Amino acid sequence: MGLDILFKIAGVGILISVIHTALKQAGKEDMAQLCTLAGFAIVLLWVVQLLGQLFTTVQGVFKLF
Amino acid sequence: MWLKLIGCCLVIIAGTLTGFSLAARYNERPKQVRQLIGCITSLGSYINYVSLPLSEALIRSAGMIEGPVRDLFQQAGSFIDTSGWRSPQEAFAEALNMLENELAIHKPEREIMLLLGANLGAVDRKEQQKHLDLAKVELEKIHQEAIIARDQNVKMYRYLGVCGGLAIAILLV
Repeated sequence: MGLDILFKIAGVGILISVIHTALKQAGKEDMAQLCTLAGFAIVLLWVVQLLGQLFTTVQGVFKLF
Repeated sequence: MWLKLIGCCLVIIAGTLTGFSLAARYNERPKQVRQLIGCITSLGSYINYVSLPLSEALIRSAGMIEGPVRDLFQQAGSFIDTSGWRSPQEAFAEALNMLENELAIHKPEREIMLLLGANLGAVDRKEQQKHLDLAKVELEKIHQEAIIARDQNVKMYRYLGVCGGLAIAILLV
């Protein structure tokens, strides 16, 4: 795992915040919330995979099989 | 590496263009409604003071402007002219269907035009003028609404287009 996933998450965060602002300015608060939720879900998918890797590594290190 | 970069650029450009074309539709709508109002006004003059046949009045009333609205009136006029069995309403309906992609107008404007078509040429001048005035008043209202919608949506669609393209590019990298 490199740093690229961190940059990806940062990029998605910035874009989602811009989209949120644009939608909110246009008076579509519900769509803005939905968009934030979608961004959160995408990032969560990536993070959950990394967490899974972390747990398998911990199991491997401490021989918990 | 280069292939990825080119792909990213293409995705971003596609997203941006989509956003801008959607924004352009919102930009175009008040303009076309204003043109419709102008055409209906001059159509009223041609009916009341020049007493032209309907097909010619339709074609002439849109002679001064450019774009799809002119095509709509000229198409409707030529439909009435070339096939006499068509009622004005049918001619308008067919012209509206033909120019569906070029016209940025929505359903309410379409209905107003069809209603106007139903009354054109069916009653005397005074009544026709009443219907033209009614259509004009309704279109004025729609014009105001379209301006508000434009102010709200044009910026949003541009932002969304660019940001959507960037987001897809980031997700795919």
